[in-house]
Amino acid sequence: MRNAKPEMRIIFIVILLLFFAFLIAPLIVLLFRSFVTEEGVGFSNYMTSLSDETLTRAIGNSIKVSSTAAVITTTLAFALAYAVNCTRIYQPLKNAVKAGILIPMLTPTITYGFAIMYTFGNQGLLTKLFDRNLFEIYGFNGLLIGYVIYTLPAAFLVIHNSFKYIDKKFIIVSKLMGDGTLRSFLNTVFRPLLGALGGAFVLSFILSFTDFGIPASVGGTYEVVATQLYQAMLGSIPDFSIGAVIAVLMLFPALVGVFLLNYLERFNFHYDKFSETELTPSKFRDSFFGTLSLVILLAMVAVFAVMFIAPFVTAFPYDLRFSWQHITDVFQSNDLVSVYGNSLLVAALTAVFGTVIAYGAALLNARTPLRGKQTVDIFSMITNTVPGMVLGLSYLLLFNESSLKGTFLIIVLCNIMHYFTTPYLMAKNALTKMNPSWETSGELLGDNWLKTVYRVILPNSVSTVIEIFSYYFINAMVTISGVIFLVSAQTTVVASKINELQHFAKFNEIFVLSVLIFLTNLLVRFVCEALQKRAAIYKK
Amino acid sequence: MLELKNISKQFDQKVVLENIDLKINSGEIVSLLGPSGSGKTTLLNIILGLTRMDQGKIIFNDEDVSNVGMKNRGFNIVFQDYALFPHLNAYENIVYGLRNQKDTASAEEVREYIDFLELTPHLKKRIGELSGGQKQRVALARTLVTKPKLLLLDEPLSALDGVIKESIKERIKLIAKEFNLTTIIVTHDPEEALTISDKILIINQGNISQFGTPFEIINQPSNDFVKEFILRQLQIKRQNIYNLFGEKYA
Repeated sequence: MRNAKPEMRIIFIVILLLFFAFLIAPLIVLLFRSFVTEEGVGFSNYMTSLSDETLTRAIGNSIKVSSTAAVITTTLAFALAYAVNCTRIYQPLKNAVKAGILIPMLTPTITYGFAIMYTFGNQGLLTKLFDRNLFEIYGFNGLLIGYVIYTLPAAFLVIHNSFKYIDKKFIIVSKLMGDGTLRSFLNTVFRPLLGALGGAFVLSFILSFTDFGIPASVGGTYEVVATQLYQAMLGSIPDFSIGAVIAVLMLFPALVGVFLLNYLERFNFHYDKFSETELTPSKFRDSFFGTLSLVILLAMVAVFAVMFIAPFVTAFPYDLRFSWQHITDVFQSNDLVSVYGNSLLVAALTAVFGTVIAYGAALLNARTPLRGKQTVDIFSMITNTVPGMVLGLSYLLLFNESSLKGTFLIIVLCNIMHYFTTPYLMAKNALTKMNPSWETSGELLGDNWLKTVYRVILPNSVSTVIEIFSYYFINAMVTISGVIFLVSAQTTVVASKINELQHFAKFNEIFVLSVLIFLTNLLVRFVCEALQKRAAIYKK
Repeated sequence: MLELKNISKQFDQKVVLENIDLKINSGEIVSLLGPSGSGKTTLLNIILGLTRMDQGKIIFNDEDVSNVGMKNRGFNIVFQDYALFPHLNAYENIVYGLRNQKDTASAEEVREYIDFLELTPHLKKRIGELSGGQKQRVALARTLVTKPKLLLLDEPLSALDGVIKESIKERIKLIAKEFNLTTIIVTHDPEEALTISDKILIINQGNISQFGTPFEIINQPSNDFVKEFILRQLQIKRQNIYNLFGEKYA
């Protein structure tokens, strides 16, 4: 309909070039490297890797522990989402669930591992309380707990969002039609949520399968794919070809998972109209789900509690007297302060440039008549599929000889690509919903396209822009899998530093740094929410 | 005077408009009337310059504007959903265009438009706080401030209810007269078209079915489509009104 403007084309070309250089090219190089051997090109790397018993065992272990975690996570996430959406439990408890569930998102996964060690380990908080070891935490059990905590927020959000699209009136209709509890539940809650439950399972599985932080801390001798990949690349005998093979193998379940997610989308119901409906009272239902969500929440808080206790006592768990010693030690260490500074810098740059790129890409896709704009959707599907470790590794392979190696820039770019999908979809969603005639109106009133974007489109999507900024910032702050192959001595960030510190058993430093990340993220979240509230009032 | 010469348009092989040929005199109100999918909105967008035509010419005051871009054509439109900017208040919406062309309207003139559309009490309101009729008037004001040479209105009454509809109708007539502004209105409602306009262009399946004054259309319908689709509706409405009030009010 409307004609594409030159300025749209320029932005489009810049975005295309960025994605070709920092997403497509590295992945092609990775794939290529997995086939190259000293004798030429072939499948021999795959043969060697797959005949290696340790690796095949690691793959089996990864599948086993990730799927177990996904089952538990989906069940817990559903129970919490049900409690929030379909019961009449005390409102503050609902709010506590909605806020508390997000806590794990604010800390690096590697920290969970140490928190689990300090809670369930030989000298752990709960071990002391129960006066015995509850179970062996290094290996399967530790990984399982870690993965469940790690993926619970994401799974909860998927199911919780779908609950919003369920018309609760059907629950009442079903009751009026004489359905029993089970039939009513299956027809009005379970069936409409089937797609979301499947989605939560797949998401939880992929996240667990590709995470590096948790196995790096509590994996023990239990081999999983992520630790094998790390060993192949940064172990005692680095082998880039084998690393490339493992990365491709790691990509595979993620690929299947994304296809599954798209397939499951079909099971989702889309009601266009629904009204707020009062829920029927039920004492049993409410007390059951109230207790359950309280227990889940407390269990999670209990694991994280140690992170906030350990750094503030003299010598956890032997001498529990309050002390500032560990905090002041960290702040007096130039090394650790600069690492925290690096993290802040990387997160801020990722947030700023990531927001510009994701918003720009969404703007072109949602609100311009550009030809070929669908390419951006394909990029976003690719970034959704590629695990952080795989992306980081492919950067290492492509840029190892270039001047980008060991710079902050390469880390920032990797983060922007790694986390591109969600911000892009958020922006696209918001921009598509806006009145399609604004650009035409602006033009008729004398604006050029960029001016309308600046004067009309941007002010009406401020809230989404802030959301994208905080998403990028927080994720860049906590990611370890994406950056572990890219950091150098000068560009170490907190998450990768924690991985180093564990070899020197410097757990107090680990917890202080984790608390710092947590508080920084919390602060960013609060500021962003406050700004969003202001934007909302201003719009009313 | 606006002249459309042989305008044709296809979308993906499908003919949307065919050989549209007509003249509209200055200051006239003309309605484009037809069922949905008849091509009337496409024709409006072609006149505006938003949609490219495949064939034909648009002559405005003896000047061929066929290849003049939307922005430079000097026409303006009020969209069906008004497309007001929700982050600005009513007044900021009205003067939006003045930031770009400061000399189009003086402060005095802006106040006149605002007074004329009776918007003074609503200027500080957010768009979300305005009623449908108020939004329509703000959108009209925003457009009029740019002093368009031709005013295009896309379904201006369809989102409004009862009494407001009639008052906006009168307002549009007044605007055309007061500013001697040629106005083209898209509508699917025969009653609306016949009561607001000087001439009506009835479009069916991309072709002109009839072009004439309300009197001509009522008394000399040129084909079955006009009779069946346009007049039939009005006759049923008339019958309903008779039934309500009795024949004596006929």
